[in-house]
Amino acid sequence: MTDAAIAVNNLAFKYGALKVIDDMTMEIESGTSYGLLGPNGAGKTTLIRLMVGLLKPAGGNVLCLGKPPTRSMAKNIGYMPQLPALYSELSVEQNIDFFGRIYGLKDSKKRWERVNEVIKVVDLWEKRKTQIVNLSGGMKQRVSLACAIVHQPSLIFLDEPTVGLDPELRVHFWDYFTDLTKAGHTLIISSHTFDDAAHCQRLAFLRLGRVVAQGTPAELRAATGNKEASLEDAFLYFIKHDEVKENVQ
Amino acid sequence: MSSSTLNVARRVILQVVRDRRTIALIIVAPLVIATVAGFSIPDKMMLDNAAPAILATLIIFFGFLITGISFLRERTQGTLERMLVSPISRMDIVAGYLLGLLLFALLQTLIMFFYMVYVLSINYQGDLWQILVFQMLIGIVAVCMGTFFSAFARNEFQMIQFIPLIIVPQIFLSGLFIQTSQLPYVLEWISKFLPLTYGVEGIKALMQQGQSLLDIGKDIGILAAFAAGFLVLASLTLRQKS
Ligand SMILES: Nc1ncnc2c1ncn2[C@@H]1O[C@H](COP(=O)(O)OP(=O)(O)OP(=O)(O)O)[C@@H](O)[C@H]1O
Ligand SMILES: [Mg+2]
Repeated sequence: MTDAAIAVNNLAFKYGALKVIDDMTMEIESGTSYGLLGPNGAGKTTLIRLMVGLLKPAGGNVLCLGKPPTRSMAKNIGYMPQLPALYSELSVEQNIDFFGRIYGLKDSKKRWERVNEVIKVVDLWEKRKTQIVNLSGGMKQRVSLACAIVHQPSLIFLDEPTVGLDPELRVHFWDYFTDLTKAGHTLIISSHTFDDAAHCQRLAFLRLGRVVAQGTPAELRAATGNKEASLEDAFLYFIKHDEVKENVQ
Repeated sequence: MSSSTLNVARRVILQVVRDRRTIALIIVAPLVIATVAGFSIPDKMMLDNAAPAILATLIIFFGFLITGISFLRERTQGTLERMLVSPISRMDIVAGYLLGLLLFALLQTLIMFFYMVYVLSINYQGDLWQILVFQMLIGIVAVCMGTFFSAFARNEFQMIQFIPLIIVPQIFLSGLFIQTSQLPYVLEWISKFLPLTYGVEGIKALMQQGQSLLDIGKDIGILAAFAAGFLVLASLTLRQKS
């Protein structure tokens, strides 16, 4: 319990009458990469928005680093939304610099060093003076990641960070994510690809706002009872199971 | 003023400055409108009479438009959410926006005012600096109002609809065409709840009757209250959703 970066307890959320998060409980250890895997509409984005405090739970609670997510701990949190939320008139470096500023990187020399560092991480050095409107979709995605990590948060929420990236960059991103967890950062990553899932240390399979299974990729594969099962097989296995349970009820 | 407010303001200004077409429109639009207004009233006396109210109306109109749309974009493109999860406060966000866009609202105000004075050669009384200070206050109200109302629009299309809904009634009821005291009773009563009414009243007193800011304390007080009210309401619209 003590080193849980995030604890979600009986969390519930509704959009109008639609139950989007339904009695969800999970715990995420610090220094790990945790994957939220589920089909479109499973509630991944909603869960992340609850975790960062953008939405207020209808029931249960979320504890980030032991406390409900509030502004007082915001500097420890990085959030990359599903759609690259950037200022299209500004350049790559102006966007990253702005987020560095509002996250309290006051010393301008240190801030610029850090801005340049993350620009190199996302491999956009040549494009650093380019306005966002003139970038490709995948490049915007990379700037968006850079904005989320410029202040070196210990807890990083990434909503589908690898969508639209070419295979080479995907590998590069995952190498970087692995380095981050080794350095003690906690990563919460949503995705629908099994390529991403295989890289995560722990996974939660989500369906209709519920956790249908959680564990390490190996545990989840083993749970199917089939030694050869891939993560994809495991996912389908648990989803089927959940559907059957639902029909019985 | 906190450094977070200034950081937001700086970014807002940078955004406008980096968009050449927007900058050009910000400068050209008031010139075009002031020209049309000026030449549509060939009678010199009538123009002198109408100019102050026209100015106040245009300041509200432009200020509302520029902030309403920019703040709405902040919401729809998701950058507002990014700011909301950051350590800066809701008040810093709104105040920073206000400060940044106020610069452009003031630029437009100055363009219109000096164009009317020097090109259309309207006559006015009162101190120049006092008139400018009062116009600045009207600009602040407009910017606060735009930020607040942007919360009720889901997209640009809806935001544009707010102009006929929020701005046009104020034009008819503020004393631009007919003095508020000559309006039907109900409308006169409504006009007392509209900021433009006090903007028009104050600017007429300054420019036509040569009064000073001290004489129009009531208008200044009410406009300041409107600005503060909209500012607080705007920051409340940034609350956590449930
Ligand atoms: N603003 C909203 N208003 C109403 N319903 C919403 C809203 N946002 C999401 N929903 C609903 O909540 C459910 C979960 O949506 P959510 O965006 O969390 O899914 P997701 O798992 O992130 O999907 P995706 O993989 O497509 O990103 C969906 O049924 C969706 O229709
Ligand atoms: Mg999503």
